[in-house]
Amino acid sequence: MMPARRKGLGPLILIAPAAVLLGVFLVLPYLNIVVMSFRMPGQGTPYGAGFTIGNYTKFFVDSFYLLQVANTLWIGLITTAICLVVGFPVAWQLARGAMRFRALAYGLVLSPLLVGIVIRSYGWTILLGNAGLINRTLTGMGLIDRPLPLMYNALGIVIALVHVFLPFMILPIMAAIQGVDPSLESAARSLGASRFTAFRRIVLPLCTPGIQAGCILVFVLSLSAYVTPSLIGGLRVKTMAVTVVDALIDTFQWPWGSALALMLSVTGALCVVIFARLTRMKWKVGRT
Amino acid sequence: MTEVSIERLTKTFGSARAVDGISIRIADGEFISLLGPSGCGKTTTLKMIAGFEEASEGAIRFDGKDVVNVPAEKRDIGMVFQNYALFPHMTVDQNLAFGLEMRKIAKPEMLSRIAKVLDMVQLGGYSDRYPNQLSGGQQQRVALARALVIEPKILLLDEPLANLDAKLREEMRVFIRDLQRRVGITTVYVTHDQAEAMTMSDRVVVMFGGRIAQIGAPSDIYERPENLEVAQFVGQVNLVRGTILGGTITGPAGAGKSRVASVFGDVAVDSRADHAPGTAVTLSLRPEAIELKPAGQGGAQGKVMARYYSGSIIDYRIALDSSETLHVQTFPNIRIAEGDRVSVHAPADGFWLLGAAQ
Repeated sequence: MMPARRKGLGPLILIAPAAVLLGVFLVLPYLNIVVMSFRMPGQGTPYGAGFTIGNYTKFFVDSFYLLQVANTLWIGLITTAICLVVGFPVAWQLARGAMRFRALAYGLVLSPLLVGIVIRSYGWTILLGNAGLINRTLTGMGLIDRPLPLMYNALGIVIALVHVFLPFMILPIMAAIQGVDPSLESAARSLGASRFTAFRRIVLPLCTPGIQAGCILVFVLSLSAYVTPSLIGGLRVKTMAVTVVDALIDTFQWPWGSALALMLSVTGALCVVIFARLTRMKWKVGRT
Repeated sequence: MTEVSIERLTKTFGSARAVDGISIRIADGEFISLLGPSGCGKTTTLKMIAGFEEASEGAIRFDGKDVVNVPAEKRDIGMVFQNYALFPHMTVDQNLAFGLEMRKIAKPEMLSRIAKVLDMVQLGGYSDRYPNQLSGGQQQRVALARALVIEPKILLLDEPLANLDAKLREEMRVFIRDLQRRVGITTVYVTHDQAEAMTMSDRVVVMFGGRIAQIGAPSDIYERPENLEVAQFVGQVNLVRGTILGGTITGPAGAGKSRVASVFGDVAVDSRADHAPGTAVTLSLRPEAIELKPAGQGGAQGKVMARYYSGSIIDYRIALDSSETLHVQTFPNIRIAEGDRVSVHAPADGFWLLGAAQ
């Protein structure tokens, strides 16, 4: 018989620091935002007296904001998909490949995180701008007459976001692949499966947890990204995060900005829940 | 019904020769073990038979057909891995069905084959379990069932019992051996455990450093080892110095024997090769062949230095007066204590002439 698990303070003590941190710096501000989102807009002040649901009706009535949410989700989705497609082979190589310069490869994977976000985004403007390196080179070579629109649009934002968030896709997938015993592939092949079938039926399902984690991380980070979209998207393409900051800081409409921020959180959370549901692993649930 | 023929098979990694030109013919339905210390090339050989490792040179023939260029999934082998390699996200049923699906077996036949094999490994009723809900021994049997359900030409086992505890290991030895006999499948078994190889195999291939040291029936390997290395690997052995005496031994029992002078007197010893009279030789003497009697009853004289009781046997360390040390195993029915003086008797058929002394 297993000894009965002691129901003491042990577990509580272990999670206490994180719980306090989250409580003070996440839950309380969130509650504040929820309350704020129901306040009246102010005249010359951040918010007025009394409560209303007007901020939310404004959001749902004005298709401009709904479209912006859709736009933001779309950018997040595309960024996540590209990160997955580009990152998986890298993760595979890092986890399984016989590499001489593994440490260097790790460094390269992590390199986007080592540069400050503002500098990195400015770096992209230097590359992607109309007078940027890429366009100048291409026009110089006579390949294009007019500069390609690489900046101030969704494409530029996606390119820059993929660059920043790729490590968040690669690292969890790499860990997951490392957790899959290579002899499982051999076993599948001994049973008559081709390399591809062995990968599809055995390896891929087993590293789903890593893929799931990577996708959720990149998606959520993309939705909430601010600096990159605001610098590269400029005034033309705005993501929700940029609009929220505009409302809160530029136009000083705290209730409206709070409502927008909450709608962004809710739609993002909904997407994550749906995604997690769709990729649920029965064999993990069924464990005893 | 498959005969396997391995011809001058070689595997090089860079300049290292992991497997160095080995040849083995495995008869249809034979159970053969590749036995050797780690790094002797036995696992590499198995991987080449399975198709997971490419042969650098040589041929592997299944019923005369060279399969060296056939990919693993087309070789029609069943393989059992050391860590079982069960698919953790599939139930027992799904694990067994995998190979049948790859062969596009119709559903009804699939179900009946799975049921039959599960019954064979005594795991009926476990169909819906996930591997992590099974004990080590059960997982082992599922792995075996998964390899057998596809009715492969050859069964390959890579140290399948290494992760089990001692008692279960002994049960599984018998279980696998019985199952293999019943199915009648040609089997190659890799192990570093000599007891495992001996109890299960029709023939044992002893490998050292990528080469075959000896191929033979277990009794052949044990009683007539090719050299000192083999003798020491397949069991405990005492080494006794001796000198070849001239003269022949008459009578039918004398065929192939040499007369050797040793601390145990003149003995007629079996050997593979003839040596000139006067040659210094090394004899092997198995611990269980030696008989201990109270002092003064003939034989070599010595003293008990240590005694280790382990239930079914007692191990003794004996210091002979001639300064040699002997390891003796006896049934526990003799009562000889540490420090006692003893007479040591070794019957002539307990000796084996390993070769000229080095």
